[in-house]
Amino acid sequence: MKKTHWNLRLQPKLLLGLVIMAAVLVTALTPAIAQLYRGHMEGYYSDLAFDQASIAARLIDGDSIEHYYRTLEKDEYYEEVRQYLQTVREEMGLEYFYVVVPEDEVMVYIWDAGVAGVDGVCDLGDADAYYGGGNELMHAAFAPDAPETILVTNNEEYGYLASAYVAILDSTGTPAALASVDISMDMINQQIRQFVYLTILIACGVLLVSVVVYYFYVRRILIRPLGTLHQATQELVQHEMDRLEDFQLDIRTGDEVEELAHAFQYMTVELAEYIRNLAAVTAEKERIGAELEVATQIQASMLPCIFPAFPERREFDIYASMTPAKEVGGDFYDFFLVDDNHLAMVIADVSGKGVPAALFMVIAKTLLKNSAQTGSSPKEVLERVNNQLCENNDAEMFVTAWLGILDLTTGSLLAANAGHEYPALRRAGGEFELIKDKHGFVLAGMEGSRYQQYELKLEPGDTLFVYTDGVAEATDAHEELYGTDRMLKALNRRVDAAPEVLLPWIKEDIDAFVGEAPQFDDITMLGLRFIGPVGEEEGKT
Amino acid sequence: MDIRKTKEGAALTLELEGRLDTTTAPELEAELSGSLDGVTELTLDMEKLAYLSSAGLRVILGAQKRMNKQGKMTVRHVNETIMEVFEVTGFVDILNIE
Repeated sequence: MKKTHWNLRLQPKLLLGLVIMAAVLVTALTPAIAQLYRGHMEGYYSDLAFDQASIAARLIDGDSIEHYYRTLEKDEYYEEVRQYLQTVREEMGLEYFYVVVPEDEVMVYIWDAGVAGVDGVCDLGDADAYYGGGNELMHAAFAPDAPETILVTNNEEYGYLASAYVAILDSTGTPAALASVDISMDMINQQIRQFVYLTILIACGVLLVSVVVYYFYVRRILIRPLGTLHQATQELVQHEMDRLEDFQLDIRTGDEVEELAHAFQYMTVELAEYIRNLAAVTAEKERIGAELEVATQIQASMLPCIFPAFPERREFDIYASMTPAKEVGGDFYDFFLVDDNHLAMVIADVSGKGVPAALFMVIAKTLLKNSAQTGSSPKEVLERVNNQLCENNDAEMFVTAWLGILDLTTGSLLAANAGHEYPALRRAGGEFELIKDKHGFVLAGMEGSRYQQYELKLEPGDTLFVYTDGVAEATDAHEELYGTDRMLKALNRRVDAAPEVLLPWIKEDIDAFVGEAPQFDDITMLGLRFIGPVGEEEGKT
Repeated sequence: MDIRKTKEGAALTLELEGRLDTTTAPELEAELSGSLDGVTELTLDMEKLAYLSSAGLRVILGAQKRMNKQGKMTVRHVNETIMEVFEVTGFVDILNIE
């Protein structure tokens, strides 16, 4: 079916091209050749006419004409000349052969070859009008030493004629009459017509043979291979995608079509290779995706995420959240009780993103927790963990971290900052403000970094808010940063809210600011409200 | 991000323009790893740097560590926003800022 389809489309185009070519050749060549032939034949017949007229003009005695013209009496010589003209006319196949005296309006016949009265042959003294421009030409020829005068006429009345006029001179050299010869050239038209018919016939014959030869030739070298190729492509797509390596194409035409087949063959081989690779890569990608999914879950489960975290402790209220930008992030928070009276809080941000950041985060978080649980001060913890992280840190990653340890009995908060954002603190009854604490260098940046520790005295009702740069550097579609000013404003709009209300509100405010712009960085926050030592609370009530 | 490079003998100056963040930091990292051989004086010009993220800080820290071994590194024309980043992260203590 497909093959027929091909034939219908390509074959007629090629055949039409052949027909057009033949038609162009015939129409271009035939008129040119016909014209050449016509010119040649006209010249030949004109010369013949002129020669016969010249011979007659020399033979006929010019002096006798004056006599016949005037008296209209025929004599023996008159009859002799008529016989001569008659013989020449018949022998040479001339149309008309006659001698006339040209007057102003008419010409007067002296001789006209043929038997007078038969077939419209004119007799001595008959007058006739000039025809087809004959007037000027005949008068021009009617002179001694007149130029060679030939007239070619082609009209319906007289047919296609070549006429020649030569003056007959009398003994004084004066023109007495004109010897006139008309030769019919109707056969030229006839011959040209035959020539054209013949040309067209031959062209059609050649065309027919070419078409047949061409049809089979093109079919063999083009249509059939193309059809095979076409079918192969179809089959390839429909059935053989799974076994591309076995694909074979048998086309041997030794030209571009075979090259195309080779290219196609090559393409299928490459395609097979490509599909294999793609399948492998896709499988790998799916596997990695699945593993990343698991990694995200593990990472999320590493952060304390059950709230209230310490339902039995009434001295404080804590809440934290992390929204990763990619599958796995580099931000983390942590909080745990070092002992009954000390709560440790960590918020940190690993440089970079994705799996490397997440792995580094796990190490940093573990080290910080282990170190803090020994009861060391924040300064000691950061210095120790920094040195531990600096060992074998070939990837040159680093972590910014804020670590605070709160004495729940006194409200004394000891904290140290390793290159992390400023904490925000709200004193009971007041507003949130940034604490411009002393910053040490980031963790894992330089071995032996020193950190400064500071103390804040928390009063009952004070709220502490720490966060990562994902908050301050959330960016909207116009590349404008959310910034700490907006953050403080938002915090102060819910100034009395508990951490578990405050944090979702900040996230909401950030989302409203960012709008449709994508989230670049993890957004992590930790909020703590100090309620006060349990004993003191009980004493009041 | 655009990085314009000027080298005079063993002194290399990189002018940074645009945002140095997670997406563009690898560009700077590749640039640095390819052109620090034999450099004893590295200058980072941050006059036209609009934004610097932690990924960018990591590359700067890497450069600083490398230059500690083979010469010295200077950071120049730091604007207010980026200075704040350097202050917050403690980079002011380890960088030579002009």
